[in-house]
Parts: sequence; structure tokens; C-alpha cells
Amino acid sequence: MSDLERELESELHRVLDPVSSLPIPPRRAAHPRVSARTLLGGAGAALTFKILTGVAAAAAAVTVVGAATTGSLDPSVWGQVVEEQVQTCKNALAQGEHGIGQCVSSVASQHGQAVASSARHHGDGSSKSKDNNGNTNNGNNGGGNGNANGHPKDRSTRSPGPPASRGS
Amino acid sequence: MQSREEGAASGAAKAEEAYQPGSEADFERLYRNTYRRILGTLITLVRDRATAEDCAQETFERAYRNWKSWQPDAPVEAWLHRIAINVAISDRRHQRIRQAGELVRRLGRPAPGADPSLVAERSDLVAALKKLPPKQAAALVLRHYHGYSNREIAAAIGVPEQTVASRLGAARKQLQAVLGRP
Repeated sequence: MSDLERELESELHRVLDPVSSLPIPPRRAAHPRVSARTLLGGAGAALTFKILTGVAAAAAAVTVVGAATTGSLDPSVWGQVVEEQVQTCKNALAQGEHGIGQCVSSVASQHGQAVASSARHHGDGSSKSKDNNGNTNNGNNGGGNGNANGHPKDRSTRSPGPPASRGS
Repeated sequence: MQSREEGAASGAAKAEEAYQPGSEADFERLYRNTYRRILGTLITLVRDRATAEDCAQETFERAYRNWKSWQPDAPVEAWLHRIAINVAISDRRHQRIRQAGELVRRLGRPAPGADPSLVAERSDLVAALKKLPPKQAAALVLRHYHGYSNREIAAAIGVPEQTVASRLGAARKQLQAVLGRP
């Protein structure tokens, strides 16, 4: 054994032997790891992306349906409109008659058609748009072009009108 | 000290035979039997006692996660040492990154004083071991402190048994160079 090896053994015993008399601490519990890498990488990333996309799509759908039904982008208006409709339907119930579902549905349907018709007449709400006659609107009075009841747009009500004369 | 041909594992052979992979009670017993030896090795590999204690806990956490799949083809303590060496390698890597950040923050300020808890462990030789590559330092500690056989060192540092002698020779040479001895 070389001098270095002897010195190494002696020094290691001097430094480490006291460790063997130390109290043993309680073992740290092993936690399952859910690291950022799991969420942001591999299959975790795909799942996270799908969940976020789903949440965003649901929020967008709620906004579109709410705006189309009430004609307003303000969510506080949506509840108010529905409340009024329900109250109207309740008042219209005859004595002994039950159920306001059909009534509310028909009111919502009529309102949706009215909003859609208004949108067709006044433009789609964008800052500048051309109507069927080729005139330019500022679009401030457009109530959106949503079709509240989910039925296809009634194209037969559109009046084709004369083609816009360019350059006149 | 036990004969190196027999190795450190032979003394604990009976206990090792009783370890059942996946058994909660056996892992707790393994922890009690080996914690201090694993901590001792880590003290020579990482910068201070507190870090060594943290690395020891990390070692047993990793070991616990793989306890069900542990194959008793190598001594269990050598397996734990292998995990501990890998933990020390990770810690050194992170330490280099932390030191770079601390250096930038400390520029122009006086360096902090020595930690009083480290004074008892102050040793030029141990300080030189910490400057060696972790696997080389571990090989020296396993041979010259724990009395491991070549087979156990091979299992702990992840090299073939035939390579251990040359690795130990290289580690001693490197240690002499760090100490500035001929």
C-alpha cells in the first residue's frame, strides 16, 4: 500500500467515522412527480393543449349563443333578456295551463330571426361593409349576423337588387 | 476491516438475502442499515454536509421508486451507491449553474466566510476528492473506506469488473495531481 493510500484511509476514517454515530433522520416520503416537463412536453403537452382548446371553444360558444340570442355582446344583458321572456310567458299562461317551455322557445326563435334580419338589413356590424345595393355602411347599427335559432338562413327573403354600378 | 476479496457486502450478506424487492418493511430496514454509509460517501462527493444529507434523501427516494424492480444480481448497497453517485453528478452539474449566478450577484462584494459546521470536516485530501470526477472519487472511497471488492465497485460505478483496477489507478493518479504531489 502506498503512502497516499494509507493517508487516504486515515483521513477518510477521521472525517467519516463520526458520521456513523449520527442519528438517522426519518426517510423523506417519495412524491409522485408531476413536473412542468410532464405538463409541457410529450403526451402531457398534447393533453394540456386539448384541454385548453376545449375550454376556449366552450367559452367562445357561450359568447356566440348569448350574443345571438340577445343581440348584445354584454353577458349581463343575456340574463336580463331571458328573465323578461320567462316572465312574459308566465303571464301569458291560461288558468290551469302548465309549462312555458314552448312559449320561451318560440320567443327566443322569433328574437333570433329578428336579430338575423336586422343584421342582414344593416350590415354585419363590421366597421365598413357593403349592403346588397353596393352602398357603404359604417356598420354602427349592425346587430351582428347571427342566426339565433340555429336554422339555415332564409335566403328567399333577400332582395337581390340591382348590381352596384362601379365608378358612378 | 474485511478482506477486500470478500468485500463489504459479505458482512451484510445474510441481511441482503432477506430483502424482498417491493417490500415496504424491507426498504425501511435497508434505509436504516445503509443511510450512514451512503451519507459518508456523499460527503466526499458534494460540497458540504447539508447537501450530502439532501442527496442521501434523494438517493433513497429514487431507490424507493425503483424498489419493486430491483434485481438482487448485485449487492443492494452497491446499487444504492450507484444511485447516490448519479445524484452527486446531478448536484455538481446544478452547483456549477448556481455558482455562475451567485458569482454575478456577488461581484464587488466580499465572499461569505467558511461555514463553521464544515470546519470539523476540513481536510485537504477530502477537498481534493471533491475536485475529482465523481465516479473516480467514489471508487477511491468505496475501496479505501468502505472496503468494497472490485465486483462491488464495478456495480456501483457502472463499469465492467475488469476495468475497476485501471479506474482506481487513474483515480489515484488524478488525486496526486490535484494535491500537487509527484
